[in-house]
Amino acid sequence: MSYTPIQLLENWILRQASDAGQEWLDAQRQAVAQGDMKALYMGFGFAPRKVGKADLQLTERDLNDAAEAREGWMPHTWTIDQAARVLLLTSLPSEDDAAYFATIEKLFQTAEIREQICLYQALQLLPHQELFDDRLAEGIRTNIKSVFESIAHNNPLPMELMQEPAWNQMVLKALFIGAALDPIEGLDRRVNPELARMLIDFAHERRAAKRPIPVELWRVAAPFADEIALEDMRALYASGEQLEQSAIALALVSSASDEADVILKTHPEIAARAERGEITWRAIAEEAY
Amino acid sequence: MKFIDPHIHVTSRTTDDYEAMAAAGVAAIIEPAFWLGQPRTNVGSFQDYFSSLVGFEKFRAAQFGIRHYCTIGLNSKEANNEALAEQVMEIMPLFLAKENVVAVGEIGFDDMTALEEKYLRLQLEMAKEVNLPVLIHTPHRNKKQGTYRSMDIIEEHEIPPHLVVIDHNNEETCEEVLRRGYWAAFTIYPKTKMGNERMVEVVKKYGPERIIVDSSADWGVSDPLAVPKTGNLMLERGIPQEHVELTCYKNALAAYGQSGQFEESDWLDPEPIDQRTLFEGNSVLRGGQTPRVDDKQEDDRIIQ
Ligand SMILES: [Zn+2]
Repeated sequence: MSYTPIQLLENWILRQASDAGQEWLDAQRQAVAQGDMKALYMGFGFAPRKVGKADLQLTERDLNDAAEAREGWMPHTWTIDQAARVLLLTSLPSEDDAAYFATIEKLFQTAEIREQICLYQALQLLPHQELFDDRLAEGIRTNIKSVFESIAHNNPLPMELMQEPAWNQMVLKALFIGAALDPIEGLDRRVNPELARMLIDFAHERRAAKRPIPVELWRVAAPFADEIALEDMRALYASGEQLEQSAIALALVSSASDEADVILKTHPEIAARAERGEITWRAIAEEAY
Repeated sequence: MKFIDPHIHVTSRTTDDYEAMAAAGVAAIIEPAFWLGQPRTNVGSFQDYFSSLVGFEKFRAAQFGIRHYCTIGLNSKEANNEALAEQVMEIMPLFLAKENVVAVGEIGFDDMTALEEKYLRLQLEMAKEVNLPVLIHTPHRNKKQGTYRSMDIIEEHEIPPHLVVIDHNNEETCEEVLRRGYWAAFTIYPKTKMGNERMVEVVKKYGPERIIVDSSADWGVSDPLAVPKTGNLMLERGIPQEHVELTCYKNALAAYGQSGQFEESDWLDPEPIDQRTLFEGNSVLRGGQTPRVDDKQEDDRIIQ
């Protein structure tokens, strides 16, 4: 049988929290459900002290249940206080969407770092998600990488809600701040010419400054590679490091143009490995960061 | 030796200060909510200021290897704007439960007006409600009176003295503060509050029990290294190392540790989860810059 996200969170907390923490959480959820704002604000703050801050111990099966309960939900980085906080949020009455939005925004505006991470990950499970596209766009302007990653990584909301300019900024910024691209959900699906152009300019600029180019960039840039991009790729494929060569081979193999074939032929053995699926973006991202 | 500076307003300091503090052994700091040098005109300014204390400033300090904590409160000067003070009291519950909040403060008297007293009392009650220690700011003018009056009010509210730090003491006030059982903090602030040679004499006279040294460094002419400098001066002038450790580290730890939010293991042995949030990969650096790695060979004329 399948579960709702709320049931899953309840089960996971039940497995790990103390009885006292459990009781506290139930009482707070009831108060919040009655519209008690102070219980929400204080409860949200006190959650780590009441239920602890441990990582949720999730099995393969829990993760599958999660993906079934909410498509794209990947809670493998979640902590128990995060789960408790999300349950508090799901208890908040939501019939009046303007009031609901104002309350959640108030929490965002006053959140510390771990709370921001929690809130950005929580939105995917909350009602009225469509009201929060500006909040996501604002969130990726952060200076704090862990907050940025709570939006960009393992989160289906950007691909579902973000307008193209915000989406493109998110991908480009990830490369700037050294956040991996692979955990961005919908990355290949939302590739677009404008994004590819920005990445190609960025790569070219880095090459001119003799600075390394993040290898995952080619995954997004290659489908729209122009002359400049092909020239950069040709050069890196000829003399770059092994990880760069692997990434370029993988990017070119999937673009399947005549120019790509010409470049691939210069290192046929790497191209063959890419074609056989022995090189993956997941593995490249893991090695790169 | 490791130091704690339990009263410093780093929001108004530069990254150079952070680097110097870390190099001098400052492991943890507490930033009490205070005023900005000019009055705030609306509650939004308080909200954003409090948010930065529990958010970005904590993050920024961590980039330099320093654990940042704070206290939240409506300061005495701004308590005199009653309409605004009411709104600040309303948003305080959003902040008092944050993870790095170790006390309600700094609160107390400036002019010793009725409104200052009203908001001091309300915030003392709030501290009781959330089980947090209190940090008391004592006035520059009429100090002795202000200090004694603060303690009388705290006693009326039945807050035990071990939960209260009275700050900005001097030779005139500390005897009574200690006698009544409070933590007595001293601000080593150049030219005005307390010099560190005087501080050495205070510790020689009263011993190290319940005495706390801090810098109160802020946007004024002040010294973010006041605690390590004072600690080192104490050692030079013959104060035993254990006494220096008490006054420049352990007493602050004991006093604010009562919040349950201020533990040595946070900086000596950080939890992996906080490390993930605060350190790993996070950066105040701009794209392309790499973290500073000390290297004596580095040519400082070259900007990479
Ligand atoms: Zn101060």
